[in-house]
Amino acid sequence: MFEKSLSDLIQGLRANKRNEVDYIQKSLEEIQSEVQLSDMRSKSTAIDKLNYLHMLGYDTNWANFNVVEVMASPRFGEKRTGYLAAAQSFHQETDVLMLATNLIRKDLSSSNVMEVSVALDGLAQVATPELATDLFDDATAVLGHSRPFIRKKALVCLYRLVLKHPEGLHALAPQLRERLDDPDPSVVSSAVSVICELARTNPTNYLPLAPKLYHLLNSSTNNWMLIKIVKLFASLTPIEPRLAKKLHGPLSQLICTTSAMSLLYECIHTAVVGDIIGVSEPVADSVGREIELAELCARKLTLFYESTDHNLRYVGLVTLAQLQARRPELVVGQYETVLKCLDDPDLSIRTRALSVISGMATRRTLARTVKRLMSQLILSNTIRLQPACNMPGVSNSEHNGDAVDFNPGAPTTDGAGTSLVNARGSIMQPRQAAAAGPAPADSPEYRLMVVESIVDMCTRQSYANLVDFEWYVAALVDLVYTAGVDVGRMLGEKLLDVTVRVRQVREFSIKLMRRLLSDRQLVSYASAGNSTAKVLCAAAYILGEYCTLLPANSEDVSLLFPPCLSELDGDEQATFIQAAIKVYANWLRDVTGYWGPEVWELVREVNASTMRQLTGLLLARAGDGSDEGVHLSSVVAELPLQVDCRLRHFVEITKAVSVATSNLSDSAPQLCQELHELFTAYELNPVSAAAQGKVPLPDGLDLDTAIGCPIPDTTHILFPPPPPAPSVSAAQPRQRDSQPSKDSSNGRRPRRGSKNDPFYLDNARDSRDLAELPDVDDIPVVHLDLGGLGDAPKPRKSGKKKSGKGRSLAKHSRKNRTKSPRSPSPSPPPPAPVEIAGDEDMPDTDKR
Amino acid sequence: MIKSVLIFNQLGKPRLVKFYEQIGTAAQQEILREIHAIIAKRPDTQCNFLEGCQSIGGPDSRIIYRHYATLYFVFVVDSSESELGILDLIQVFVEALDRVFENVCELDLIFHFDEIHYILMEVVSAGMVIETNLAEISRAVSEGKLQIKPASEPSRLGIGALRGFV
Repeated sequence: MFEKSLSDLIQGLRANKRNEVDYIQKSLEEIQSEVQLSDMRSKSTAIDKLNYLHMLGYDTNWANFNVVEVMASPRFGEKRTGYLAAAQSFHQETDVLMLATNLIRKDLSSSNVMEVSVALDGLAQVATPELATDLFDDATAVLGHSRPFIRKKALVCLYRLVLKHPEGLHALAPQLRERLDDPDPSVVSSAVSVICELARTNPTNYLPLAPKLYHLLNSSTNNWMLIKIVKLFASLTPIEPRLAKKLHGPLSQLICTTSAMSLLYECIHTAVVGDIIGVSEPVADSVGREIELAELCARKLTLFYESTDHNLRYVGLVTLAQLQARRPELVVGQYETVLKCLDDPDLSIRTRALSVISGMATRRTLARTVKRLMSQLILSNTIRLQPACNMPGVSNSEHNGDAVDFNPGAPTTDGAGTSLVNARGSIMQPRQAAAAGPAPADSPEYRLMVVESIVDMCTRQSYANLVDFEWYVAALVDLVYTAGVDVGRMLGEKLLDVTVRVRQVREFSIKLMRRLLSDRQLVSYASAGNSTAKVLCAAAYILGEYCTLLPANSEDVSLLFPPCLSELDGDEQATFIQAAIKVYANWLRDVTGYWGPEVWELVREVNASTMRQLTGLLLARAGDGSDEGVHLSSVVAELPLQVDCRLRHFVEITKAVSVATSNLSDSAPQLCQELHELFTAYELNPVSAAAQGKVPLPDGLDLDTAIGCPIPDTTHILFPPPPPAPSVSAAQPRQRDSQPSKDSSNGRRPRRGSKNDPFYLDNARDSRDLAELPDVDDIPVVHLDLGGLGDAPKPRKSGKKKSGKGRSLAKHSRKNRTKSPRSPSPSPPPPAPVEIAGDEDMPDTDKR
Repeated sequence: MIKSVLIFNQLGKPRLVKFYEQIGTAAQQEILREIHAIIAKRPDTQCNFLEGCQSIGGPDSRIIYRHYATLYFVFVVDSSESELGILDLIQVFVEALDRVFENVCELDLIFHFDEIHYILMEVVSAGMVIETNLAEISRAVSEGKLQIKPASEPSRLGIGALRGFV
């Protein structure tokens, strides 16, 4: 029978491209019969062919036994084929490996070096725990082979065996140390590689080798090994700081002299990552001037990220980011170069540049960086935006540098409205790649990173980098349109944050929010929990809370009843309705200033239409049986309750207004004039979480004496003590019960010493217990009657970083509760440049 | 450590598949497909490093590749390897191939896929680089060749004829 050789098979495959599967099937059948033949040559040819088919993805495990047979062939060529097949296809469960133990042992001690070499390579690949245990000593014996070519293979093979047979490590360690002195550089290099791998899991154990490695670092010229040693030292310096000083000399020497970019890069990287740049010893640069190592690294790094080679640019930026984390002042000067890298066609380089540039943001460069990033978002293929009139930075910041001229008075139907079609398109059809192919800025991950970087740069350290807050708010609004990714929640939070904390920007912000809400396309795109809905919620809250800052407009009320309202989820709807009540009350107050028959007419008309809208909403919620005959009182409250409750409040208000305005009176009804005080009696100001601690304690106030008798601990009666887990849930009802007494208590809660008291921090409790305590926000706020000190704003709001939604609801409920004629609203703050409230960095906030 | 060395052409046809960890055949093909899908669409103007391959090694792994004519040479490594060092290593490997095959081309790799393995074995063993010196590599390879010369003579003739034919 004529047998196909390997090249026959390959040629056959190439000739049968159409029915490759059939051809391979036929070949496999032939191979199956060939491996059964007693002739070793045919067998090995068959295994050779199997190797090829294995590469193409065909399972060859059925021939495992025949592979071992071929491994045992006395001819080297056949043996090698067998070992290759074993290395390629054997796995941990291959049972025929047991048969191979003696075979491999024999080959390891063969007089033919090539056989030893093949056996070492094969063993390293197929080692199982049993094989490793059995053959560890044999492999160790080979370490003393006369040929360096075998010694280096034995070293790496032993590493693999140690992985399967960890007890062998003790025997291997001294051998490794000895091999570091081997006369052959390749063997030393292999030993270093093995040490590097072992040190990854446990660097401390390999510290004693540091002097030897240090010697190699100074004497060797093998770049590959030097790279390995330098990388190894990067992981050793954190556990042995004295090494940094030692390495300073040789590393700076290498950095100055080496011509190999890879070695230069690893040296710089280790100097930066291993904090060797922290050693304050001068080094001489190329012209003999003495500079710091950090500066030398920064200078040499420019070779990388300014290079035309994209690989060098990439690694250069990676290390630049690390240098920036340690010595930001050395990196700032590279702003222009990094900015250039932002436009690199390669996404990996861009993302690296992005992280560096966002760390470089300063008051001076922020506007320029954001402008560049914004233009990337706009000019990508996914968004075909008209030359935007509301793009900060893109259109007009060219001239004034840092502040962006934005026209807040523009009508509501301008660019904001038209751009959405395109912005929306980008969400619906992620890739409308033009002929040029997808641009890097089209990648959703990249867009997300860009948006996050912009926001991060602007808000870092309490807006430290911001010069113009109006510019920032405008930029956020632009991002709503151009982001093209799901960042609505973040943008909403940031809009709220800046508007609440920065008093000066509120008026501008509310104008933009009104514009957002009146953009029909944007509003129509909102639905429960989506990105747009989150932004609109923030907009609604801002419009409601700060509506007094702008002339009232009855249309604002209907803006807050968008058609999509019923599609939003409960909390979002509640935000809208609460905002609508506030806007409505404010409008009433405003128009009563010009009281007359026309105004009376207008109030009645608006009131009636609002009532209709509300009733419609309530009835719609009652289900489809809502014909005209159903009366409101018969509509059963439905979930979500927070919406229902607010709707009913509003209906009652409109009813009261309609009664008060039933007849035309000479002066405006008192109700219309004073309704707004429900919401504006106090200004809500954010207060730092630490503000309470800064209020001085008045004389004579004793916070440590218990008030009244301690409440007897009834927990053990109500809830039997074991098991331990429910102890916290047992504490919950008590917390609710004790609230009245808490409110009446003056100041800090007296210590009761009860283990179950959630507010009693016992030293004995460990942190696990603390973690189980109820949310701090559940703790009712206590009003301090501070007498003369009373000008401080009330710490009604402390958790600044909560989600906007939850926060706004909490604020409303609390605000309503605190309505009282007792104290006047806090005095307006003195005019200040720009103040950012509610941050620990601003200790003066609560003293005003 | 080097986790894998792959060579495939622009269409994703494997020319060498070497995994230094034991991975099932199907998983190997899956990794090959995934890596080809990512790399084939990267133009040469982009950098040759990719971070984090889902199917092999996870976030610690890097894919480092070089594109030569019709072939991609791909090394999957973990973070203990130097990216630029591996790029140089790929160059060394290709130069070693070139020395052995004299002006190496894709056809050489197709018809001598086993020999490519043996050459790679002299550069990388058990996932670690054991030799970067070209002279040492080719000496070891030719030493292996010497021992099988008689057996492989006919097949080499056949391929020589074929090379002219194709």
